[in-house]
Amino acid sequence: MLLDTQKQVTRKTVHKTVGENVSFERTRRITGYLVGTLDRFNNAKRAEERDRVKHATE
Amino acid sequence: MLETIIKRNGAPVPFDSTKILNAVSKANKAVGEEEMTSTDLLFVTEKVCRELQTRNLRHVEEIQDVVEESLIRYGYAKTAKAYILYRAEHTKIRNAESYLMDIYKKLTWSPALEEDIKRENANIDGDTAMGTMLRYGSEGSKFFIDNYILPKDASAAHIGGDIHIHDKDFYMLTETCCQIDLIPLFKNGFSTGHGHLREPNSVESCSALACIAIQANQNEMHGGQSLPNFDFAMAQGVRKTYRKEYEKAFRAFLQITEGMSREQAEEQTARLLPGDGARLCMRDYEAPGTLPQFPPGSEHGDLSHKAHAYAASEASAATDRRTYQAMEALVHNLNTMNSRAGAQVPFSSINYGTDTSPEGRMVVKNLLLATQAGLGNGETPIFPVQIFKVKEGVNFNIGDPNYDLFRTALETSAKRLFPNFSFLDAPFNLRYYKPGDYNSEVAYMGCRTRVIGNVYDGSREVTCGRGNLSFTSVNLPRLGIEAGGDVDNFFSRLDEMIDLVFRQLMHRFKIQGAKKVRNYPFLMGQGIWLDSDKLGPDDRIDEVIRHGTLTIGFIGLAETLKVLIGKHHGEDDGAQELGLKIVGRMRGRADDASRETGLNFTLIATPAEGLSGRFVAADRQKYGVLPGVTDREYYTNSFHIPVYFPVKAFRKIQLEAPYHALTNAGHITYVELDGDTSKNIDAFEAVIRYMHGHGIGYGSINHPLDRDPVCGYTGVIHDVCPRCGRKEGEGIDIDFLNTLRKIYPDVPVHKQ
Repeated sequence: MLLDTQKQVTRKTVHKTVGENVSFERTRRITGYLVGTLDRFNNAKRAEERDRVKHATE
Repeated sequence: MLETIIKRNGAPVPFDSTKILNAVSKANKAVGEEEMTSTDLLFVTEKVCRELQTRNLRHVEEIQDVVEESLIRYGYAKTAKAYILYRAEHTKIRNAESYLMDIYKKLTWSPALEEDIKRENANIDGDTAMGTMLRYGSEGSKFFIDNYILPKDASAAHIGGDIHIHDKDFYMLTETCCQIDLIPLFKNGFSTGHGHLREPNSVESCSALACIAIQANQNEMHGGQSLPNFDFAMAQGVRKTYRKEYEKAFRAFLQITEGMSREQAEEQTARLLPGDGARLCMRDYEAPGTLPQFPPGSEHGDLSHKAHAYAASEASAATDRRTYQAMEALVHNLNTMNSRAGAQVPFSSINYGTDTSPEGRMVVKNLLLATQAGLGNGETPIFPVQIFKVKEGVNFNIGDPNYDLFRTALETSAKRLFPNFSFLDAPFNLRYYKPGDYNSEVAYMGCRTRVIGNVYDGSREVTCGRGNLSFTSVNLPRLGIEAGGDVDNFFSRLDEMIDLVFRQLMHRFKIQGAKKVRNYPFLMGQGIWLDSDKLGPDDRIDEVIRHGTLTIGFIGLAETLKVLIGKHHGEDDGAQELGLKIVGRMRGRADDASRETGLNFTLIATPAEGLSGRFVAADRQKYGVLPGVTDREYYTNSFHIPVYFPVKAFRKIQLEAPYHALTNAGHITYVELDGDTSKNIDAFEAVIRYMHGHGIGYGSINHPLDRDPVCGYTGVIHDVCPRCGRKEGEGIDIDFLNTLRKIYPDVPVHKQ
């Protein structure tokens, strides 16, 4: 039991991780401006962005 | 007699019968007939007091009820009606006051992620102290404008969702935006209102001062700022830098090869390169024979040819490097510098691509390269909005002097979403174009605003020193719903709504015009706005702001067509025809108003960020869920084909282009490409060329651009990051990240 806890502590110090709870940034254009992340979009613009479909060039 | 009465908040206050008398008198005066003498007023007041006593009424609302009853009983019906309206008005204001306090509470205690109201504009951080302070001011101002300033019909139309008065919080204060010409501003330096700056003498200073000018002007206006001739303006700094670098290299060459002392070399350099800064430019080396030489047979013989060759090559390389750094600094500055009390960065736009001088070309090349490189950790720059001006004979075709820059612009846009592309050959833009005159080249604000025509002064149809004064948008779908699908009825409602909007724009224009130069120490005080240099600090600005535009806009053409004839313009040719008729009517009315007033009434395809959800929410509440109309969270932007509707890129361009010709205050068309197509520069170019050939004024290509801030990967990310393999929110091993950094130098270093 004690050994297990020690092991965990050791692993934690050796294997440091980064990036927990860090989201991907998704840059999009609205109105003509860019916005660095969807988090800042208002609800309507989020919905609009979600609905956008691609336009084929063929 | 009553001694005290009870206010609405429950507090007792001494009774004062003159308050009743005054209220009745005011109501009577508002009627204009049914005139009450002072004896009549005293009589009614006396009756009210007696009634209160008899019925033992003390609450203020009860007292007002008795006043109404008494007026009616004694034959003052019209006065009673005015009194009731007055009461209703004040109730509305009181309710609004508690409404305002509710907003303040939300702004204060809710995080932006939970409150839509804090995300009205995506480039303002609603969670910061200054962002919140700005919103307090904004919401308080809107309340004041609604209740005390706006004409009643305009206020009701805005609150009810028939129209949207943009930047209403600034109604009493300033104008929207301006296209700044840096060239005259830089000459002899300028003052920001907080200090004087000398004329810039290098590309670095030009770049720094450009940012300062944008920042200073943005703080005096409520919209964004644009530099319409960025390459021409920065080229001046490049020229000065080149001259300095040239002299330095020329002198060094003489010192090293001829063993001259520093003083001797300086003296000889000064002899051959006289202090005429403008004479020496990069192009001189295309014709080296024109450069000053040592006289043949003199002490230094044919040395000067070699010295010139060395100096030209060194100066070019050094200037190129310094220009890159200056452009890198500009992009970094405009993404990080504070504006409006720190709540945001300035909304900046720069237009370029038509300066064919070697210096101007150097500017654009390096700006594009710096944009491709991205910010400190490789992030995509959000500002400035970059607009590449496409022009046949200048940069559009192989063999055009700036065609290489056009290609680099395409590559940059494919990687970073900017630049957007404007088309000077579109007929409505071409009519203003004069070769070699940047002031005749149409520029666009980042949001899409366009200002060039000028009915106020036909000799000043120019880009620089002008901008939009204010704009108001019409809720088109509601007019369609109210018309019940009757097209004629729709048009008569539209005409009435346009009348209202024009009256409101004029009301605002009068307020704006009464301001003085001293209210705008930079915009007007430094002569940035056209003709403001002719005014003194205490002069009113009404004459000069006539160069600006008064603009009507619209949202939801697609939904309007759905409600009127069941199909939108992407689905049906008849719908397209009707769509053009509707937008054409709006433009025609703007042109009529321009002719009647001599002011620049114009039509914009409204950008609509905050507005995208406001009208539809109001309409859904009022009319319920109507399929294809109110069943989404947003109304479709301006004349766009709905984002959810599958349509081929070229077809979309064909359908939207005719609306560009009608919307003289601004427009934009987007094409959405998938990740792979956007990486194919030839496919990317084909879309832009198609826009050019079909009358698009301003357009851009959207493609997915994601970034993992942990490993620095930029590109398309679905669920898993292709570089480090983590999912959204997952942690990854720091040792693994360090290994990745050996392969990809742009992996960010994380603080422990």
